[in-house]
Amino acid sequence: MGSYVCKRLLQLIPILLVITFLSFGMMRIAGSDAVLQKMENTGMVLSQDVIDQARTELGLDRPFLVQYLTWLWDLLHGDMGTSYISGKEVFPTFVSKLPATLLLTVISIGLTIVISIPLGVVAAVKQNRFTDYLIRFCSFLGNSMPNFFVALLLMYVLAIRLHVLPVISNGVNGRSVAMPALTLAIAMSAKYLRQVRATVLDELNREYVTGAKARGVRFSATLIKSVLRTSMVTIFTLLTLSIGSLLGGTAIVESIFLWDGVGKLAVDAINMRDYPMIQAYVMWMAIIYVVVNLVTDLSYRLLDPRIRLGGMEA
Amino acid sequence: MDKGKFFINRLCQFGKSRGREIGMRRIKESILLMLVLCMGFGSLSGCSGNVGGAESAGNEAAEAEASKTFIFGDTTFNPENEEPDVNPHRAYSGWACIRYGIGETLFHYSDSMEMEPWLAVGYENPDERTWVITLRDGVTFSSGRKMDGEAVKECLEHLIETHDRARGDLSIESIEADGQVITITTSEPKPAFLNYLSDPYGCIIDMQAGITDDGIVAGTGPYIAISLVSGERLELVKNEDYWDGTPGYDSITVRTISDGDTLTLALQSGEIDGAYGLPYASYAIFQNEDYHISSCATSRAFFLEMNAKSAVIADDAVRQAIAMGIDKDGFVNTLLQGNGYAAVGIYPDSFSFGGDAVKAEKYDPDGAKAILDAAGWLDRDGDGYREKDGTKLSIRWLTYPSRQELPLLAESAQATLKEIGIEVAINSTADHNSLRVDPAAWDVYVSAMVTAPTGDPEYFFTTHCLDSSSANNGSYHSDELESLAAEMAATFDVSQRAELAVQMQQVILDDHAFVFCSHLKMSMVSRASASGLTAHPCDFYEITADLAPVS
Repeated sequence: MGSYVCKRLLQLIPILLVITFLSFGMMRIAGSDAVLQKMENTGMVLSQDVIDQARTELGLDRPFLVQYLTWLWDLLHGDMGTSYISGKEVFPTFVSKLPATLLLTVISIGLTIVISIPLGVVAAVKQNRFTDYLIRFCSFLGNSMPNFFVALLLMYVLAIRLHVLPVISNGVNGRSVAMPALTLAIAMSAKYLRQVRATVLDELNREYVTGAKARGVRFSATLIKSVLRTSMVTIFTLLTLSIGSLLGGTAIVESIFLWDGVGKLAVDAINMRDYPMIQAYVMWMAIIYVVVNLVTDLSYRLLDPRIRLGGMEA
Repeated sequence: MDKGKFFINRLCQFGKSRGREIGMRRIKESILLMLVLCMGFGSLSGCSGNVGGAESAGNEAAEAEASKTFIFGDTTFNPENEEPDVNPHRAYSGWACIRYGIGETLFHYSDSMEMEPWLAVGYENPDERTWVITLRDGVTFSSGRKMDGEAVKECLEHLIETHDRARGDLSIESIEADGQVITITTSEPKPAFLNYLSDPYGCIIDMQAGITDDGIVAGTGPYIAISLVSGERLELVKNEDYWDGTPGYDSITVRTISDGDTLTLALQSGEIDGAYGLPYASYAIFQNEDYHISSCATSRAFFLEMNAKSAVIADDAVRQAIAMGIDKDGFVNTLLQGNGYAAVGIYPDSFSFGGDAVKAEKYDPDGAKAILDAAGWLDRDGDGYREKDGTKLSIRWLTYPSRQELPLLAESAQATLKEIGIEVAINSTADHNSLRVDPAAWDVYVSAMVTAPTGDPEYFFTTHCLDSSSANNGSYHSDELESLAAEMAATFDVSQRAELAVQMQQVILDDHAFVFCSHLKMSMVSRASASGLTAHPCDFYEITADLAPVS
């Protein structure tokens, strides 16, 4: 197990090298740079001398490869650089946004589990009956609505009509996280409850369920102890993939609710061509996906002991 | 048989009892599930255990009302806009300093964009390079220090030491202070010197109090900055010793709300009391007695530059037809839903040298068709577009999407120019800055800019229209304009500069080298419970001592 984990973590090195190089290159192909973006935002016109001087100060006048290798060298020495926009160090700025993203991820995943698993199971158990149709209709609605629309709808109902929650977040706290988490949970639940339903239905049609029924085992016991447990591998895989994307931030939801997480930071950085901040974000994304996938693989062993890791324990 | 009946009966009894049992269990499970869901949502919405959600949401507003706090939502106060803090000596942060009532400049603009003394009481201009400015007495910084000549000298010296743009604009050679009088010598004649001093970077701050790590400064305005989280919020309190009246609110919170829809909903829900930067579509919601809307035209213009190096644009008739083929009123009234002003020249009519002071081509599709016909541009193949010598009349329209008005303008022009037989190929790209320097990449470049940031007319010409201009993208040249520009550079009298500005605008409009389509309508919305949040044509002044709760 230990060597398997080490092997997977070592795979991070080439992944990070390739992905940071690609993102560095792609941002330059996209055109413009931080100096021009700032000029455009302010609506002022700068002389070419001033533009050139600003580019020189940021090192943007050097060849692409030199810029990338300089960034990489600094990174290996523990320096992720300084933001072109805020002038602050990238690492502490990025880390300061993580608590908000982590809180939003945990709450929205928790809500998704609370909503989608019971509803998915109920829909499967009540297959092709009114309850099933109702749940599937709600799922269809949830899947059809984009996040920003759900966000605005929730704001209108919960903040303007009912005055239950605030529109704008006021720091990283429970009240402020409620609406963004609910927005994300609605979208994810709509998707997952169908997956849960399909997985549970698949299990319910297996022979061991019929056998248990014939032996007089209570249906709820079969459902909870056998069906749900075996369905959990699929459900868990789906949820962990969501955790990966949520930890990368949800730019639209964060922007709408003024939730100060890494998603909003990344979008702002991309818009402003803030290369050092973009590189930090790309690295974060690569790391979380590798780590989350690794944790998922390891957890399969716990959920289903028959599963082997990377050909080990053969 | 008996055994069989007995078994069936037992089975039925078992089934019934199991059915009841399962039914009861399902009901219990359902109730449990409902409770879990309710607890989940309840804990999220309450979290402090406050069951009355409405009560908790309204707490902030109630507290704000009790302590006379005004909460202002703004889309522009962020590092992306070069306003990371309120230090006027950094980038464009002076805009935040002056807009939120922290700092004031020596001179400012009246509602009709005329220069007036502010922290100064007057000035003399004994020669072209010397400015003797008398300062207002009885003004103190929020640090408690008196604003005198020495304090202003320290501030301006620090400004030109740290702020590249200010150093270039002001060309200050030396500053001398004597009591309430400062004498500034410039390295070259600067007719627009007082205008530059009125730029937000010219906010007078106490350099002895210094600039905090957060970028907070001590100014002379009606409000004092006490805390700042860049890109998020700014907390202000009333300046009890303000020299020009009593500020209306005890405290003000400025929230950066970059999403326009969120800003709209926050104002609707009562979480903020005023807003700047609402989406155009939102204004209709607030056109009722519960809100005040204050609007005015600013010098931010949306305009076309013709590429003199383009073969098709080099034809005078084509340029004139384009100028006559764009329906400015239709664009402003329909696509911008009235949130703009149709432009004539470079400046809006709030400037003495703007609006109808100049004459430009009016929307006249029939006239445009006649001009193109006369120039030999005819639709011979019947495809709806004109040709001449085998060349189709097609123009490449370069613009960018970051200003919401620009893609709309492109679509509007595409439709109206098609009516007169001109094809418009739109290229709306974030990479426009790389393309605009390549004369082979476009025929018409359409952009937005603040044409008179300091209220003086010279800026637009020096940046866009002269041989020496850094943003003369279309390589425009006019001997007459060069001569008038040289004259303006040596003219100190304000009214003469205004006259020159009119003549210079007329030159570029007569050459059809530029077409000015619209001016930005700047609007601010406040709840009816507040008064004094007033839009100003130069966009510098928002929160003033006049902002007060309605009693």
